[in-house]
Amino acid sequence: MVTTPGHASAGKRHKRRLTLHYGYVFPAVVMFVLFVAYPILWVIGESLRGSSSSHRSDFVGLNHYWQLFQDPVFWQVLLNMFLWGLITIPVQMVVGGTIAYLIETYTTRSKTFFRVMFFLPVITSVSVVSIVWSQMYAPYYGIIQQYAKAVGVQLTTSPLGDPNLVIYALIVVNIWQWTGFSMIMYVAGLTNIPTELWDAAKIDGAHGWKLATRVIIPLLTPVTRSLLLLGVIGTLQTFPIVYLMSDGGPDHASEIFGTYIFKQGFVIGDIGYASALSTVTLIIALALSMIQIVAFGARLNPNRESLV
Amino acid sequence: MSPQLSEQPRFRISMRFCAKLILAVTLLLWMIPEVYMVSVALRPSDAAFEPQLITWPMTLDNFITVIRDNPLWMFFGNSLLVTTATVIIVLAFASTFAFASSILKLRGTTFLFTSLLTTLMMPVASIVLPIAILLKSFGWISTYQGLIMPYAALGIPYAIAIIKNFMDESPRDLFEAAVIDGCTTWQMFCHVAIPLIKPTIIFVAVWQFIVTWNEFFLALVVMTESSHKTVTLVPMQYSGMYMANPAALFAILVIIAVPLLVLYTFVQKYFVAGLLSGAVKG
Repeated sequence: MVTTPGHASAGKRHKRRLTLHYGYVFPAVVMFVLFVAYPILWVIGESLRGSSSSHRSDFVGLNHYWQLFQDPVFWQVLLNMFLWGLITIPVQMVVGGTIAYLIETYTTRSKTFFRVMFFLPVITSVSVVSIVWSQMYAPYYGIIQQYAKAVGVQLTTSPLGDPNLVIYALIVVNIWQWTGFSMIMYVAGLTNIPTELWDAAKIDGAHGWKLATRVIIPLLTPVTRSLLLLGVIGTLQTFPIVYLMSDGGPDHASEIFGTYIFKQGFVIGDIGYASALSTVTLIIALALSMIQIVAFGARLNPNRESLV
Repeated sequence: MSPQLSEQPRFRISMRFCAKLILAVTLLLWMIPEVYMVSVALRPSDAAFEPQLITWPMTLDNFITVIRDNPLWMFFGNSLLVTTATVIIVLAFASTFAFASSILKLRGTTFLFTSLLTTLMMPVASIVLPIAILLKSFGWISTYQGLIMPYAALGIPYAIAIIKNFMDESPRDLFEAAVIDGCTTWQMFCHVAIPLIKPTIIFVAVWQFIVTWNEFFLALVVMTESSHKTVTLVPMQYSGMYMANPAALFAILVIIAVPLLVLYTFVQKYFVAGLLSGAVKG
């Protein structure tokens, strides 16, 4: 293309303006590179290097990973995380979905009240929740023990101290705290079902159970998929409830990725091993997310065609 | 109302009434931990270990004691500063990025956006170690920016995703008119884009505020000095100190939990509206 000097300077100005436009993108990208991308590369790199500070620069290959696979605590972590996701995600969906359905179909003036009240646990600080529930689980003076006695179950110790019960006791707390989130998501999904669709279904004679299973649940599938995706990530994110209530104990019975990484990295100071654990957590999170996105077209925002 | 039941008017049960009853009973059970928290905080210390949900008499002594004896206002100040700064940074950086990507259609932003989205699928637990080491090398351990910056970095991608969706759907001729009127890009951003996405901004701000205020893992790792601790770390700090006096400890828990609950009841209208409008437009 032949350009006259005038054109060239206009082009230059245009180019300069385009470069300036990258100023809008720059801050977000810098934050991402510094606090997300770099840390990811760092843990992958460190997981291949020596543990103690004197051998930190030694390349040890996949040694930490072999060590990890032979570590019974690691398998306990995997089992706990599996149980955690398997129980919390469906229970929150069913309970949260039912509550949302009842609120949206049968209440009018009290709608806002119920929406707010069921959401309160979500915004109650998790460190507050942990201490309140620890106290409720406590032997002798905890109210849960008292209620259990009333229905004929005699507990003499806190379920948090029992290796067989501890993970379930923690899962209950997690379900209690996060069901409100599923509820609010389903509320949004239900509100967005066009009124004509409701009416049409009712005219066709669908009501009660039939209306729910044949019409409403299929229409809410996008919300359910989003909750599944968020639930999997949320499961792998779990930390404060376990750290504060049982610290992964007794004897690693309730150990999860968060607490085990914290112990290895910050308490023991085995950077290599903690990095290998972190990398495994990352791989599991990304793999499970990708599988859902590819297989069911899961999205973080149920109302969109694209991922979010 | 099912037809079989309506044939026997005497035993007719309103479905509406049943549904409300189920909701009310579920809610009562669901609120037990919250009620118990407040109830223990209101007990005289000798009644703190009573295994009942509610006991009489009630007293405000615990609140007076813990407020008098502890610098709780300092932790609130820390949390307020960290949270507000995080929300502002997230909104600023996310809205400029979304603007460049969906209005200016800047080349390369789609790729950048996709990379940023991986943040949403990544558990914080897996990068908490490198973040702590990075902050140490910056000398940012136990500083406000040491918490604000990672919080903002982790919040920005989600905010971008939401804001970008709204900008993608905003009427293009508004922006074309602005260009014809001789607006600079910056003016276009401030006077056209921002007013358009106001409801979304409120939604993102509320959610980011809640998440940041309650975040625990990074706060635990970064704020090692008591003077900079945020409120989420306070219960842990005091649980040892008030081991024998749970009534006082629970008063602290109430003081920590209640402000956010009150705030939410005030802003929930905007929060739910933001959540709902997502689909109305889509």
